Amino acid sequence: MNRKMLYLAGASMMALGLQAGTAAAQDCSVNVGTIYPTSVDWGRPIAETALWVGEMINEAGGVDGCEVNMILRDDQNDARVGVDAARALVDIDQVELLLGTVSSGISIPILTSVTAPAGVMQMSCCSSSSRLTEIAESGEARGLWFRTFATADVQAAVAAMLARDAGIQNITVVYKNDDWGQDIGRLAAEAFEAVGIEVLDQIAITDAQPSYRAEATQALRGQPESLYLALYPVEGISFVREWIGLGGTTTMIGANSLKSDDFRTTVGLENLAEFTGTDTSSPRVQSAADFIEAYTANFDAAPSGPGLANSFDAAAIALLAYHAAGRDASGEEIAAQVSRVTDPAGEPIPATVEGFASAMEILSGGGSVSYQGATGAVTFDANGNVSAPAVSWGFDDSGVVEQSYISLEEVAAFMASTN
Amino acid sequence: MIQSILDGILTGAIISLGAIGLTLIMHILRFANFAYAELLAIGAYVALVFDQLFPVLVPALDTAFAPLTLTGALALSMVIAMVLTGLSAVVIDALVFKRIRQKAGPLSMVFASFGVALVIRNVIVLIFGHHAQLYSQDIARATVISFDPLILIKPDQVFVLALALALMLALHLILTRTTFGFALRAVAENPSLAQVAGVRLSTMVAAVWVIAGSLSAVAGTLYALTNQLNPLIGHVFLLPVFAATIVGGIGSVYGAVLGGFIVGIASGLALMILPPGYAPAMPFLIILAVLLFRPQGLFGEEQQ
Amino acid sequence: MIGLVSYLTFFLTMAGIMAIITLGLNLHWGYTGLFNGGVVAFFGAGAYGTMILGGPSQPDQFGGFELPYLVALGGGVVIAGALAWVVGLLTLRLRHDYLAISTFGIAVALEAVARNAQWLTGGARGLRGFPRPFEDQIDNNFLFGVVFLLIVLTVLGLIWLSIERLVNSPFGRALRAIREDEVAARALGKNPVRLRLWSLVIGAAIMGAGGGLYVSYTAFVSPQDLLPILTFQIWAMLIVGGAGNNRGAVLGAVLIWGVWTLSGFALTRLAPASMQIDAGSIQYILIGTLIVCMLIWRPEGLLPEKIKKSQPMTARKAASNSTRE
Repeated sequence: MNRKMLYLAGASMMALGLQAGTAAAQDCSVNVGTIYPTSVDWGRPIAETALWVGEMINEAGGVDGCEVNMILRDDQNDARVGVDAARALVDIDQVELLLGTVSSGISIPILTSVTAPAGVMQMSCCSSSSRLTEIAESGEARGLWFRTFATADVQAAVAAMLARDAGIQNITVVYKNDDWGQDIGRLAAEAFEAVGIEVLDQIAITDAQPSYRAEATQALRGQPESLYLALYPVEGISFVREWIGLGGTTTMIGANSLKSDDFRTTVGLENLAEFTGTDTSSPRVQSAADFIEAYTANFDAAPSGPGLANSFDAAAIALLAYHAAGRDASGEEIAAQVSRVTDPAGEPIPATVEGFASAMEILSGGGSVSYQGATGAVTFDANGNVSAPAVSWGFDDSGVVEQSYISLEEVAAFMASTN
Repeated sequence: MIQSILDGILTGAIISLGAIGLTLIMHILRFANFAYAELLAIGAYVALVFDQLFPVLVPALDTAFAPLTLTGALALSMVIAMVLTGLSAVVIDALVFKRIRQKAGPLSMVFASFGVALVIRNVIVLIFGHHAQLYSQDIARATVISFDPLILIKPDQVFVLALALALMLALHLILTRTTFGFALRAVAENPSLAQVAGVRLSTMVAAVWVIAGSLSAVAGTLYALTNQLNPLIGHVFLLPVFAATIVGGIGSVYGAVLGGFIVGIASGLALMILPPGYAPAMPFLIILAVLLFRPQGLFGEEQQ
Repeated sequence: MIGLVSYLTFFLTMAGIMAIITLGLNLHWGYTGLFNGGVVAFFGAGAYGTMILGGPSQPDQFGGFELPYLVALGGGVVIAGALAWVVGLLTLRLRHDYLAISTFGIAVALEAVARNAQWLTGGARGLRGFPRPFEDQIDNNFLFGVVFLLIVLTVLGLIWLSIERLVNSPFGRALRAIREDEVAARALGKNPVRLRLWSLVIGAAIMGAGGGLYVSYTAFVSPQDLLPILTFQIWAMLIVGGAGNNRGAVLGAVLIWGVWTLSGFALTRLAPASMQIDAGSIQYILIGTLIVCMLIWRPEGLLPEKIKKSQPMTARKAASNSTRE
């Protein structure tokens, strides 16, 4: 009880303090809605990253001179709760910009029933469903939808390239049984077959199961030479530990979702020597390295887990576009400015406080910049999707190391050759 | 096929341990306790805390009993976890379920248990975080029993099975050979009559919570030993444990044991018929199938 | 100001949909004593049914018949009822807690179908693009919200009146009779199995209507909408509001949904910045504690069933008796 009272007292004092501080330093503030599943394991760091970008932007001078007030809501991984949170943010907090969320099953109803009808811009880090492309194509999204998560086909194609170059003859595809996993699992299987690799089995992993022993046994049945893993860390750890314990191959190709410290330490480096990951990446490796360094400095831990770099870029691009559109801009006006932040011909700017400050200056002067973010120089197509070059990566004792870089042209040429 | 059955037996052992406690609770207190599986999580996390504490105090405890990944520290921690989880079960009962029992019907208890489960799970998240934890980083390697057909067994799993069977035997002896066991069964048969005969109901209820709590602690720790530990393990285990209890028939300890093995084996075999995506539905298909033929469960007593 | 009104419109729309489902559950539990643990299955059948019948056609996808709104919604209701009929034939002879877990299992199985049967349900990606009623005719987002709220309230009102008439009819009295004492009811020539089956089907159809209304607001449905948490929410609404009383059911729906969403809203205002990231977990703890306290403080609900002279036993006693039988 006493603790509760203390918290409450603390909260109100902080609120007062904040208001006073704001009044002194900046005479205005803009509300930015953020909806992420903070009560879910992988959702939390994604949300923390977005809030951190808000702090950086404020340090750099705020959106059009106004302090950014990031309002975070938990979607509980439940569509009804997410839609309600979005409505509250749009109606009561009057946000014109909404960041979020992770699960496509929540991002879509928010887009179709809240943000698009209300003319609010929505940018997600991690929603991957191809339904979102359909919604954008149909015009239902009214140009207000963006995501920094490269669609699954790039990663699937790169996985096939890596497998072919490694001389792999056959493979078993193991995928998370959700919208992302079903998409990438199917695309990867098609890509493997297109380069002449036999796909022995495709196994869906439904999360929150007591044991993945049966799935591992089934995968073992075909005696595959290698494994393709499109899993999140939690079930990835369980499955791979079971798999290795049963004597399965350690030749594994994994999607970027497994770029996680938890996965590295629990599976063990000695078992990950032949693990290769795929990811979409930056054409200028420096900006990705900068992100890792800055993240480590801020959170005392390297960015591990799915979606962190994407969350960073989503927040940064959206807030810079907000700045370019001005403090009183509507969601449509902000969305229209996104191309000025991600203009390949613009001035390259790094994802640091200084970078944000100089970007803001250029944008205010009517120029355009090329934001070099944690996932690289992102550009969006008409449907709000990013296309990006790719990297392969592996684990070492310090964390994640990049192994090779595959340019946008190479990826595109490879994808064209397999179709 | 043989491998799947074997895997099922090994997974089933853990489910059985969880189901024994639940079947006793459901029988004596007559409500479906949805917070029950959170006791597994409490047990596993208590064991984790002590497992990390002991080797600091006594480094010798940190060596594993080959070929198991189980260490002396963890074995000790598990015993402490049994005690503490049993106690927390009694405390939760005193704080919540006892009060509701005095005022309301079983349905209120069911919903209160939902609420309690939400609270426990999220308190664990606040304390330990979301991420997966392990007692030992080493991966338990399977031993090849036979190459054709390929049959693999992990030593850890054999240990789990043996320990589970030993605990079940101990419980069996307690229930059939001691005065306490008789009293417990009397309460389960007819609470009012048992009270007339001089059995203190509140003591019996507390005893059942202690038994259920300590068995769940073992189940939770063993599960975390062979898989991983995260705040959702209670949630993950809830459905298989319920399935085992109902398949076996509420109130029957032997039914719960058998139910656990049935659910484990059927979930393993299911993948041979159904696509893996349908695996979560498997325990329920078993429940439905069993209840269609025996509405009171395999070992349940005929109602009415 | 208009923002607040707009949010309230939306809040009442959602609460109204929940209230419809709670009324369906009240028919099951409050009036018939059926322990339905699979509320979300019937909600989902209505939602998917409405979407498949009324949604746009898509390549390689069954459904997308683009039927007129009322036909699609009605079709969803019928599909939910049909599902209940099959479920009822399988499970209605089971006793309380077994019935609950079987229906719960059916909900899990249905979620697995929605997640995996891609030809029918779109798989985990779900189905999208339902034409929201009157959206083309109404330009204004706020006005659309008001019109939709009116639609939901109309449906809620119609269902309320129908249930009130139903439970006061001879059919309703027979339902309560089998709830109170099945043997006596049977002795009087009532057929408990058939009565229960009808109650299950009608209640499930009402839940299906809730699901249909929900997709026609979000224009999207996916397996994420079929999680068991909905079942728990609806039960919490009925128990807190008061089983056996329609006013209690609706009050409970508004209150619990309010607590569920407002606690998140309040935490963003009140909790200090350092705790914002934990707000999700704290919110769950608050919700759980509140429900437990409510059950300790007033287990019969805020508005308990009004007992008429002809009913000597209370619903609660009957419930506890029937699980102890």
